[in-house]
Amino acid sequence: MQPRNRRYAIRTVVGGLGMISAGWKRLAANCRPAVERTSATMAGLPTAWQQMRKFDMHNHVFDPVHRGDGSWKRVESMIEAAEILGIEKLFCSKPITGGVLAGSEEVREANDSVIAAMRRYPARIAGYCFLQPGNGTASLEELKRCLDQGMVGVKLYNQFKISDPIVYPIVERCIQAGIPLLSHSAHLTDPKSIAQQPKTSDSLDFCQLATRYPELMLILGHIQGGGDWEWAIKGLRDCKSVYIDTSGSVLEDGAIEMCVRELGHHRVLFATDQTMEGGVGKILSADLTPEQREDIFWRNSDVILARRRK
Amino acid sequence: MIIDCNAFCGPYPFRQLRYHSVDAILGLMDRNGLDGAILQSLTSVFYRDAHRGNEELYQATRSHPTRFLTVCTLNPKYVGWEDDLKQAVEQWGMKAVALYPSHHGYQWNDPFVADAIGKIVEYDLPLVLVQRLEDRRQRHAWDAAEDLDLRSVLDLATGNPRLRIFFCNWNSLDGTKLANAGLRGRCLIDFSRLQVLLNRDVFKLMDSLGVESIAFGSHLPFDYVGPSLVKLSILESMEPRDLEKIRSGNAISFFRWSRS
Repeated sequence: MQPRNRRYAIRTVVGGLGMISAGWKRLAANCRPAVERTSATMAGLPTAWQQMRKFDMHNHVFDPVHRGDGSWKRVESMIEAAEILGIEKLFCSKPITGGVLAGSEEVREANDSVIAAMRRYPARIAGYCFLQPGNGTASLEELKRCLDQGMVGVKLYNQFKISDPIVYPIVERCIQAGIPLLSHSAHLTDPKSIAQQPKTSDSLDFCQLATRYPELMLILGHIQGGGDWEWAIKGLRDCKSVYIDTSGSVLEDGAIEMCVRELGHHRVLFATDQTMEGGVGKILSADLTPEQREDIFWRNSDVILARRRK
Repeated sequence: MIIDCNAFCGPYPFRQLRYHSVDAILGLMDRNGLDGAILQSLTSVFYRDAHRGNEELYQATRSHPTRFLTVCTLNPKYVGWEDDLKQAVEQWGMKAVALYPSHHGYQWNDPFVADAIGKIVEYDLPLVLVQRLEDRRQRHAWDAAEDLDLRSVLDLATGNPRLRIFFCNWNSLDGTKLANAGLRGRCLIDFSRLQVLLNRDVFKLMDSLGVESIAFGSHLPFDYVGPSLVKLSILESMEPRDLEKIRSGNAISFFRWSRS
């Protein structure tokens, strides 16, 4: 892992805030030093929280930055946020959402965006290869291409339930390569949301797959990404090989402690899924030992990533 | 000094809250360096007679006047609401009024709403509007409430040019729309669901509505306090005078809180 480059980061911070009117630009120059100065003294936050090492295991490159007309603004903002929050590495994908059964070309283009971001920010961005399992052998070819380009895992969305046999060939390839499989998840209770995402997997679907493939490094995405997180955590009690990532826009108190209590802290991986201050803040707020916090912030993920077969 | 504008007490029917009593909330505030809170009652939202929740809130907080400014939750569909409001404001010293149309089962265009808004303006109190208590995607089968709709609120603001509005626990607020509805200088927004980094919601709103429009909020005890403390840390590089407004000054001024 390459060390952070402070000079580069501050340049990025200044550039990134250019979209804000001049009145607030003064924030840019002082942003990181201010965090360093204040974090040592602000009640409620651990000392020097910004310097704690962090791997964000669930994030995204949303724009088609591989194309000439693609805007880098959102990627630059994410890099800037990572720098300020002390997130060393962002593990990103570009899933095709809405249950769309995207063809191979569309999937390839989505992954090309992530590859372009990896090349532009090699020290900061790593890639998950998004796959649409319905594309059959073409999915496996796309996975090979992604891995050849340096991606480190697979991302699935809600085209199929994670336990659907159509996913098995991808799972088997992940096991062979020693890479993690991260999938969108939620235990939705709202009829409108269920109708919008009928094939979103919940934790019992993850358990079903994990029972068949216990050697798979399977990550249940965004435990607080919308959906009943208490249900989701309890559903994983008996499936010891499934990890959860902590991301999502929901910041409800007690969730991280429940993950640790029910699953053990080694199965919990820090992530933000674009809720970056919130994602960091809830790990800082949770009742954890310093060792547990460090494991969740990066060490558990590092162990997973080290299993990749060369 | 930090004042948390987005705080609740009382049990919540659909999920266990670890710190919902006033004593537990005081402990949580102390651990997080929060000096004061604008506190709402959850039981007021769910009791048939909301005013009994106001009474509980008053009784539980009356010995902590420097830590809590209390909000009256009013159900203008319920008989006797005028007397309830009078008691909450004149006898119990409540400094703001919250309406929960979705939870209490009425529409903004119901005639009694205009009467209630008229009374709130007459008392010169802020109207507190909570966009949501929790994410809809995890709702309990009995939780039928919908998120508040911004368009209705903007219509309310336009139709009541003296009404001051506190946007509590909102996201996706368009500062230009709020300014066009005449809310610059008469609204306050807590940043618990807004981003300082990435989407830069806080800066965009300050550009449209001024630094006086933003206040610290955490949505405790539903949510962790840490996310909002992280945001405040990032904002530490602002001019000290502006930062102090976000930490506490805007809340004190907007709610006219004399903490002595």
